[in-house]
Formats: sequence, C-alpha cells, structure tokens
Amino acid sequence: MSWELIRDILITTVPLLVIFPSLFAFTTWIERKALARIQNRIGPNKTGVPCTRISLFGLGQPAADGIKMLFKEDIVPKGADRLFHLLAPIVALIPAMLVLCFLPLEFPWAKFVQAPVQAFLLDGAVIFFFAITGLNTLAVFMAGWASRNKYSLLGGMRAIAQMVSYEIPLVLSAVIVVMLVGSLNAADIAAAQKGYQWHLFTPWGLAAFVIFFIAALAETNRSPFDLPEAESELIAGYFTEYSGFKFALFFLGEYIAMFAISGLAVTLFLGAGEGPGVAAVPALSVAWFIAKIFALIGIMIWLRGTLPRLRVDQLMAFAWKFLLPLSILNILIAGFAWHVAKSGAGTGLKAVVWIASLITLYAVARGLNRISRPEAAPREYKYAE
Amino acid sequence: MSLLGGGIVKGMAVTLRNFVGSYFNKERLVTNDYAWRPKEDAELPQSAGQYPKEEGEQLSDTTTVTNYSRNFPMLLHDGKEGDTPMDTVRCVACQICERECPPQCIYIEKMYDENGKYIKSPAKFDIDVSVCMSCQICVEVCPFDAIVMNSQFELSTPDRFGGLLLRRDDLLKSNDYYHQIHPGEAAARDQRMADEKAAKEAKKKAAAEAAKKKAAEKAKAEAEAKAKEAEAAQAEGAEEKSEPEGGDSKEATE
Repeated sequence: MSWELIRDILITTVPLLVIFPSLFAFTTWIERKALARIQNRIGPNKTGVPCTRISLFGLGQPAADGIKMLFKEDIVPKGADRLFHLLAPIVALIPAMLVLCFLPLEFPWAKFVQAPVQAFLLDGAVIFFFAITGLNTLAVFMAGWASRNKYSLLGGMRAIAQMVSYEIPLVLSAVIVVMLVGSLNAADIAAAQKGYQWHLFTPWGLAAFVIFFIAALAETNRSPFDLPEAESELIAGYFTEYSGFKFALFFLGEYIAMFAISGLAVTLFLGAGEGPGVAAVPALSVAWFIAKIFALIGIMIWLRGTLPRLRVDQLMAFAWKFLLPLSILNILIAGFAWHVAKSGAGTGLKAVVWIASLITLYAVARGLNRISRPEAAPREYKYAE
Repeated sequence: MSLLGGGIVKGMAVTLRNFVGSYFNKERLVTNDYAWRPKEDAELPQSAGQYPKEEGEQLSDTTTVTNYSRNFPMLLHDGKEGDTPMDTVRCVACQICERECPPQCIYIEKMYDENGKYIKSPAKFDIDVSVCMSCQICVEVCPFDAIVMNSQFELSTPDRFGGLLLRRDDLLKSNDYYHQIHPGEAAARDQRMADEKAAKEAKKKAAAEAAKKKAAEKAKAEAEAKAKEAEAAQAEGAEEKSEPEGGDSKEATE
C-alpha cells in the first residue's frame, strides 16, 4: 500500500467516523426533546456546559449520558457466553459504520483524493449496502443468544423473524430505482436524479419510497416495529443483559443504522445531495444530504411518538400480505412505465400511464389492506366482565 | 370510504398539535406548572419554575416542596432547633417499627444506663434509605408519634454504601420542622396527641378520683364497720353487762 492510498482512505473515512457519531449524540437529544414535547413535557433542559450554569436547552445531556455509559459497570450474566456477549455489540456497530461509506456524500475535500477509494463509486454499492446491513440480524441474535436470558432470546428471535421478513420489501423497492437508473452505483443513481427528477415525484417512486421507509423502520427496530426491544413485554429485548459501554455500542449502532438507511432512502428517492444553491456552492451538497437524513429521522421520531406497537401477527401479515405483493406490483408498473418512456411516447401517453399507475397502485393497496388485515373476530372474554 | 393510511395521518396530526401546543400553551405542561392544582389551595406553590433557583439552594430546605410530598421517615423530638435533641426525643426504642418494616430497613438498639437499666431511648436508630420503600407503615404503627415522613429528597451521595444509611442523628428533626413541611398533618397530629393526653389525664383524674372515692368509701365502710363493731361491741358489752342482770332475772325467774 502506497502512502497516497492510505492518505486517501483516511480522507474518505475519518470524516464519516467523526460526523455521524456526533450527529448520533445530537439525534438522541432531538429525540428526547421531541418525544417530550409530544407528551407535553419539557425534556432535558438542565445539562449544559459543565461547571457553569449555562444550560443551552439541555444540549449537554448526550455528553453526560456518554460519560455515564463509559463509567458504568460492565456486567456479564453468570452462564452467559462471554465471547459472543462481547462480540455482539461490535458486530452490531461495525456493519452500520461500514455502510456509511456507500452514501454518496460528496465532501469538498474529496477532490484531493486520487485513488478510487470512495465506496459509493463501486459498481455494486447498493448490493453491498444490503449485504452488509443484513449482518445486523446476526448481531441481534448473537446478543439474544449469548445473554442466557429468556427475554433476550425472545427479543432476538423476534428480531430475526422481523428483519428477514422486511428485508424483502426493502430490497424490492430499491430494485425499482436500480431498474430505472440501470446502475447499482450510488453516484450514478444520484446523478440520474439531477434537475429535480427525484424518484419520489413519480407514482411508482412514491410507492417504493413509502414501502422502503416502512421496511426501513422495521429493519432498524424503530417504533411501531420495535418488537425486538419492546420495553413493556421484554424489558429491553435482546440487550436486556447489556450495560455500560456495550449497551452504548448497541445504542450507537442502532442510530448509525438509522442514519445509513435514511441515507440510502435519500440517495435512491430524494435526489441525494441535490437542493437549492448546490450549483453555486458544491459543498452545500453534503449539508443538503444530511438535512434530508434528518428530515427522515424527524418523521421516524414523530411516528414513534404517535403509533403504538404492532402485534407479532400484524407485523408478519403486514410484511408478507401487504408490502410484498405491493412492491412486486410496483416493479411491474415501474418496468412498464420505463418502457413507455423509452419508446419515445408523447406527453399525453406518459400522463395517461402516470395517472393509471397511480390509480392502480392505490386501488391495489386498498384491496390488499382489506384482505391482509388479520381477522378481527369479536373477542370472547372468559374471565373479564 | 376513508383514505388509506388516513388513521396514521390523523394520529400524527394529534401529536403535532401537542408538540406545537406545548411551546405556546404553558397549561399543557402539567409536570412543570401546577395549573391543575385547585386555585383555592393558596398555600401550594402555583409554579415550580426552574430548579435550583439560587446556587446551592435545596428545595427540601424550603416549603416549596409540596405539602403532599413524602419521601423517607424521620424521627421527631419536641425541642427547638439546635437543642440537644436526645433530651426530648419521642422514640422509646420499642422496636415496633423495626418489626413491622416490610423491607426491614430499620435497625434499632435500646439505650441502657451504666447500671444496665433500660432508659426508654434509642441508642441506635438507622434507616437504610436505599432499601426503604417509603410505605409509611412505620408511621402508621408508631404509638408514640415519634416517626413521621420527611420530604427531603436530595439524598444523592458519592458514597454508595454508607451514604444512604441514615443514622439516628441524621434522622432527628424537630416538631417545628415537621410543622414547616407538612403543616396540616403536623397540626392534626399535635391536636390528636393533645386530645389523647387530655383524655388520658382525664381518665387518670377520674381514676384518681375514683380511687379517692373508693378509698373514702373504704374508709367510710371501715369506719362504719368500726362503728358497727364498736356498736356491736357495745351491744355485747351491754349484753354482757345485762347478762348478769338477765341471769339475775333468770335466777330471779327461776
């Protein structure tokens, strides 16, 4: 390895390793504040600059939490598999960190890079992204299994069932974009949406985005799909037996995975770093990219404050009976629309395809919704009443 | 026919309304302001505000903690603040609270003088507040009104084991302090104690009177008995006296 290559690798990776963990800290603060406000509370507002009385709206809270986590006692249950108990949080964090490289974040210092080390220029970036995020399931089950705790194991098993089920609609909705662009290269996908030709603005793209977002919520164990860590049922799910720094690593991994999957959604559907002023100041592209990620995370937090948790059967029915058929139909529609557009049809025909596909998607979604709902038979109470 | 996903949008509108509303309508923040409190209860603070207001201020030193706050037990003494509290401590180390305490966080040792005589006072009275569950059962069972609930909550300590073990001298608080933190309850308790004392005294007085009466009656009865005896004796004497007469008469009749 030459010195230049090492320098280029450092230039491309170190900013990611600095920016996203700091954004993680900020996100926990946003989440706590937003959830508090949704519940008519104030949220953290005391912790600020240490040794002073400056509180800065409680912005010191993430730092205080981090210090607390670092100094907490690390407890491993008696009879736990110590090696895998230690490995699980690391396996959870590393893939999440790794996939950040596949986001087409065009940092202004990227022009100093000579060797092609940027992962998003890889010809299989999207496939790599899904391949590596799939490792997260392994980490979750590893944690559940190694803890020697029934709650952890139940959480881990739920997580596997959920993640395997939702991986399919997630990938199938990403397939639409790959089909339309004709490339798995994240930079190409971003370039194909230049000029506000975002995939979100087409009926099939919108449907794919909604499916992708729902599946992403399930993949990152966010509410309302937080069954693997359901506090009211499983204490903390697969990380019940984790404390201190290992717990912090799980927490960090979860949020980094949120950033990564939101980043992929931004790349695929929301035009990557495109926004007003990017043409004049190219550095704004990164700012727009991160702002879009934060918009998606804001919606995730908002949904967390709104929706109750799904039941396991509802979760499975929703993935297999609703999202999966809809995403397959969406692929068909997107392929049809692509062929119509490629055959050089006029604006009139394009508009007809547009409206027809919108109506078809909505009608099928409605129908699927009616069919796929778990039977709500009148409940018979044996002991109550 | 409702829109697909309309329920979610509706729910999100509700949470958005709460989110935005909490910035504008202070009455929504029920955990911060006390808008929910009845206005006629004027002695309650209507707003907690920022805490602590001044550097080093402790809420539990003041009456800003609500009247309804109950945290951990304390021992009462009848002296003034700054007196040697052990002279007027109400606790007699009867150990009823120790036995009743569900998590068994109270430890009491009786006090003995140099002759080994029990002098109705606790030599040791420890409460481990890391174990205490604030159930107030000790307060309920105490027959001497010696143990009541304190509202002090700032008990954090760097010492994990010793720091949360409150000793007798940490627990001793004056009745005036009790009046300050829980005025209503303290007044009611004092009233009840006074009533009980009065009733006891009245009973004692009645008992004393009864005893006096009884004594008097006994004395009277004794006196009467004496008098009777005396009478009887007199009568006997008379009879004895009269006997010879009778004998005489008998003899006379014979």
